[in-house]
Amino acid sequence: MSEPLVLGIETSCDETAIGIVQGRTLLANEIASSVQEHARFGGVVPEIASRAHLEAMIPALDRALASAKVSLKDIDAIAVTAGPGLVGALLVGTSTATALALALDKPIYGVNHLAAHISVDYLTHSESIDPTIALLVSGGHSSILQIDDITSSINSLGSTMDDAAGEAFDKIARVMGLGFPGGPAVDGEAKSGDRGAINFPRGLTQAEDWRTRPYDFSFSGLKTAVARYLESTPQYKRADVAASFQEAIVDVLLQKSLAACKATGIESLVIAGGVAANSRLRQLAEQRCADAGIRLRIPSPILCTDNGAMVAALGSLMSSAGRAPSAIDVSATSSLAVTSVSV
Amino acid sequence: MSAQLVIDTSTSRTSVGLISDNKIIWSEHEDGATAHAEAVPRLVKKALAQENNISQVIVGMGPGPYTGLRAGISFAQAFAWARKIELRGVCSLDAIVCTSPEYVAATDARRKEIYWASYKDGRRVDGPHVNLPAEVEGKLFVGEGAHKYGLADVATYPDVSVFAALPPVDQPMYLRRPDAVPTSER
Repeated sequence: MSEPLVLGIETSCDETAIGIVQGRTLLANEIASSVQEHARFGGVVPEIASRAHLEAMIPALDRALASAKVSLKDIDAIAVTAGPGLVGALLVGTSTATALALALDKPIYGVNHLAAHISVDYLTHSESIDPTIALLVSGGHSSILQIDDITSSINSLGSTMDDAAGEAFDKIARVMGLGFPGGPAVDGEAKSGDRGAINFPRGLTQAEDWRTRPYDFSFSGLKTAVARYLESTPQYKRADVAASFQEAIVDVLLQKSLAACKATGIESLVIAGGVAANSRLRQLAEQRCADAGIRLRIPSPILCTDNGAMVAALGSLMSSAGRAPSAIDVSATSSLAVTSVSV
Repeated sequence: MSAQLVIDTSTSRTSVGLISDNKIIWSEHEDGATAHAEAVPRLVKKALAQENNISQVIVGMGPGPYTGLRAGISFAQAFAWARKIELRGVCSLDAIVCTSPEYVAATDARRKEIYWASYKDGRRVDGPHVNLPAEVEGKLFVGEGAHKYGLADVATYPDVSVFAALPPVDQPMYLRRPDAVPTSER
């Protein structure tokens, strides 16, 4: 019997994304983004995103089937992001998915967006990666997770106490006039800067923090420090500020991830989520993991930002592992906990 | 045999029906202003158990509160796409039935406003619009919005049995722009 053909739908934020996988083979990854419609508002406007999802959905489905060269009747299961995310946006995805499941009489898997980010790595590495430590960094989340089984057992070791890493990039890009989204803007600006120029604070890395909250993050102090620096230094060099700010974030993310690997004895690290597309994070992670003897996996940049392939990948893993599908009235939960792999 | 599948999520009521030969052969609804996305698949599953051969999907395009409205439209367009059948949108206000020749149909638009349209001799003559109830002229009001603001004694809802006869609408009827202020205007 051939491996299951799974269609995944992702609409948790501003990307209408459809992925199709067969087992662990990626067949299609179609993304329609409404990011340009949000740029002049300095952030994602939920209602604009939801309207765009409704319009983009059927064309995205058509493109995905065409690029996968499969026919709809061959799809064995539907997977959909059930949360966390913007509820109005998520509901366009779950309503589409339940319609497909009923129209085609196929099972539906309502899955966790965060677990899906991590599981997309399974499309590029054939051998099993469980157990692993995962650093999940995006515009809405920054967590260190211990994954014993991606289809059923995820434990959160720590997360951000205030801003998500991606959110910090967006806010700093805004005060520096670099535009939205901030991640790629800061990353680009930082390339010509000196990352050692300014020693910005590394949040929650005091001795006391390492004792009480070793795997938690805080980026609000860093944000304030950058804002103060910009105010007090009218002639600041933008590239140096971007590079130094980026270094402060990346340094803390990796210090804490590697500490989690060491403490748990798990010699594997997966970095996932939109911020995993950051070039400096990828570079420094490779260096530090090599030094520490940790096996590092980071999905290719296109699979790090929100996409449908990751949702299809998790659906495929759930199906192969024999996990029960979701009920047909699968509901979207904006604050779905990372420990709930499926609903 | 085949049937048209009717879905409306423009009010706090989620209604699903099956129409065959211009007659309603099955219908059911669930009430709840925040449960449309779960109610639609539950109700459609029941409908398909009655008749799985669907020839067309007819969906209420609103006006209605956005999130619930989109749950119905998202479902309808995906179901029609997957079954390779026609999708037809209608104005949900047109389906609020009244026996009088002249009336205003009104649904709840939240923010103390109503979505409304006025009708004469079986035709929509004004609307749909969104306004404060006091801004809308009319002698006879029907609908959930009219009831909420004391303009009608009972709440009535879009009636799935009349959807097949209504004129087509090709876009969701949001009537309001998203609330957001560009950074340049803050």
